[in-house]
Amino acid sequence: MASRKKSLLKVIILGDSSVGKTSLMNQYVNKRFSNQYKATIGADFCTKEVVVNDRVVTMQIWDTAGQERFQSLGVAFYRGADCCVLVYDVTAPNSFKNLDSWRDEFLIQASPRDPEHFPFVVLGNKVDLDNRQVSTRRAQQWCQSKNDIPYYETSAKEGINVELAFQTIAKNALEQEAEADVVNDFPDQIILNSQNNRPGNPDNCQC
Amino acid sequence: MDIERSLSVDTNSTCEFLDAEGDSEINDSETNFYQEADHDQEAEIQNHSIISELRDGLETQNATALSPEPGQSKQLAASAESLALSTSTSAKTEDSNSALDEEHDYLHDSVWRGQKKHIFILSEAGKPIFSLHGKEDKLATLFGVIQALVSFVQHSQDAITSIHAGGIKIAFMHRGSLILVAASRSNMSVQQLQLQLGDVYNQILSILTYSEMNKNFEKRKNLDLRRLLSGSERLFYNLLANDGCSTKVSNNVFTFLTNSIRVFPLPTTVRSQITSAIQSNCSKIKNLVFAVLIANNKLISLVRLKAYSIHPADLRLIFNLVECSESFKSSENWSPICLPRFDKNGFLHAYVSYLADDCQACLLLLSVDRDGFFELKDAKVKITEKLKRNHCLEAVNEELKQPFNVKLYQQVVGIPEMRHFLYKPKSTAQLLCPMLRHPYKSLAELDRLEAIYCDLLHRIHNSVRPLKLIYEVKESEVVLAWATGTYELYAVFEPVVDKATVIKYVDKLIKWIEKEYDVYFIRNHATF
Repeated sequence: MASRKKSLLKVIILGDSSVGKTSLMNQYVNKRFSNQYKATIGADFCTKEVVVNDRVVTMQIWDTAGQERFQSLGVAFYRGADCCVLVYDVTAPNSFKNLDSWRDEFLIQASPRDPEHFPFVVLGNKVDLDNRQVSTRRAQQWCQSKNDIPYYETSAKEGINVELAFQTIAKNALEQEAEADVVNDFPDQIILNSQNNRPGNPDNCQC
Repeated sequence: MDIERSLSVDTNSTCEFLDAEGDSEINDSETNFYQEADHDQEAEIQNHSIISELRDGLETQNATALSPEPGQSKQLAASAESLALSTSTSAKTEDSNSALDEEHDYLHDSVWRGQKKHIFILSEAGKPIFSLHGKEDKLATLFGVIQALVSFVQHSQDAITSIHAGGIKIAFMHRGSLILVAASRSNMSVQQLQLQLGDVYNQILSILTYSEMNKNFEKRKNLDLRRLLSGSERLFYNLLANDGCSTKVSNNVFTFLTNSIRVFPLPTTVRSQITSAIQSNCSKIKNLVFAVLIANNKLISLVRLKAYSIHPADLRLIFNLVECSESFKSSENWSPICLPRFDKNGFLHAYVSYLADDCQACLLLLSVDRDGFFELKDAKVKITEKLKRNHCLEAVNEELKQPFNVKLYQQVVGIPEMRHFLYKPKSTAQLLCPMLRHPYKSLAELDRLEAIYCDLLHRIHNSVRPLKLIYEVKESEVVLAWATGTYELYAVFEPVVDKATVIKYVDKLIKWIEKEYDVYFIRNHATF
């Protein structure tokens, strides 16, 4: 257990298969890019430490499987996320259209306390390619309509905007975390002979 | 339905699986969690069955979905066998130098990997809370994998109980919003590991209470519980240090293995004088539930409110608190403590004070009244005065001065061939064991002794086929376990003794314990 100042953020990356989720994570964490496509099975994990406003923050990045048949980890998987990164491929219009369902799916499964203000970040990846199909304007409009989700255009290959995007992710998640207060009031006084400590409680075996 | 799964999951190097050819045979070095190569054939067979199950499951899925790019399918199938998981290497901090990175890269650190036992606590969301070895936030990747494993099995309306990989047992416990995991290469059975995880879980409740912890998790599933537990780390380290895996050579490990506590040996008259001093000075205090006097990790006296009793697991939390709070020695203390087996949703308020500067016996008065401090303080002063007057403090000090109990020692010396024993009456959760002596004074040998007892206890308490009597001639000792209607005895002898001699000695020991019973055990705890 660490001091109060340390923070750990659970960050989930979602999006259609082959939009570059794993590549973005690899570029961010390992500064590496590979053109080879390898589908993620279930999930992949990475951690990275960043400094945000003088605080050391450990990002626990959960890279998920885009292909439906490898999404075998269940509801519990999204639970307790601090931030959700939605990724689409600017050259694949379908991956953009599906952002809606990825967002909905996340909100249903993770059921965060305040879905309206849950920190999402949208990344339009593969801007290094020539055959762009989704315009910046269109993507920005969608993000605005969803409570002003921050939007970045990235290239995992060239390392464009990747660092900046993840820095924003950490910052927004941290703000959300800071807002939430921890209930630290004392529980009610024990009432003897109440249900919780009834002498007949089989747990209370004699020592 | 809970299942005991027998899987080979290498959480550290599943990346290697990704690159492996589509071969259902996973070779030994990969199968073993910590690169240990001694798993038996049975485990081998089980591994295969589960792996093929997983593969079958995936193949059906494959059939209904489009095949990935040609040339990739083999790789995918191979990695799918690793339980649909892959882990990347842990983080590299940008601005720190590489030497520091290596220091923190526990998953590739042979010392870290070689630890005899690991304990991990995480939230249901997969956020790290505690790791016995290594900084938990540097292990965030591993915690993610653990959460995914639990979540994966939960997804099919089931619960993961354990993983057996080579010489490593990994026990899981999912309680409320917490996941507790023990990974061990010791001889402890999964049930015994879970007993220990149970103690760890109770320790968390003892600090927070169940209701407060739940309230916080309900409010925010992404809660970082470390924030609520900060400052209490020492309690966990001490609790878990109490076994042969640590650098401490002590008998403590045997109390959680037998779910018991130990009693401070005292002449009957002294103990009853102490008890009545507590009774007479506390009986009028409203809301006082328990008075507990302990010394040297052993119970001197317990007085309780009528109709309430205290569970050994709760008493162990009290022992742990006192043992790792040096500050209690210098001043009295008023501290909230939840005893989960008594009431997991509320705090008792404990007045804690050593009896006197010259007597290292610690008194705890546990009340439900949060404003009871001064009344309890008065009671303590009176109790101490009374015990001084009737020389009970002297008697306690006398016993404390001896590094071991003389009579018990003489008894054991009287049977030189008996090296160590555990005796636990059926009627109470109290354990008698002599001080550790040669050859079990060293850590390595204590480990071996622990392994012997773990094995005996496991077989005697086996839920499917419990045994009543075990007599075994081992390489370095003769061991005996005997469960009767009134007691359980586990004893370890020199390897040279024969069966007739063992029986003779056991008979002698039992007779002696029966005669001295009230010195070493408390039959009934008095009430206020």
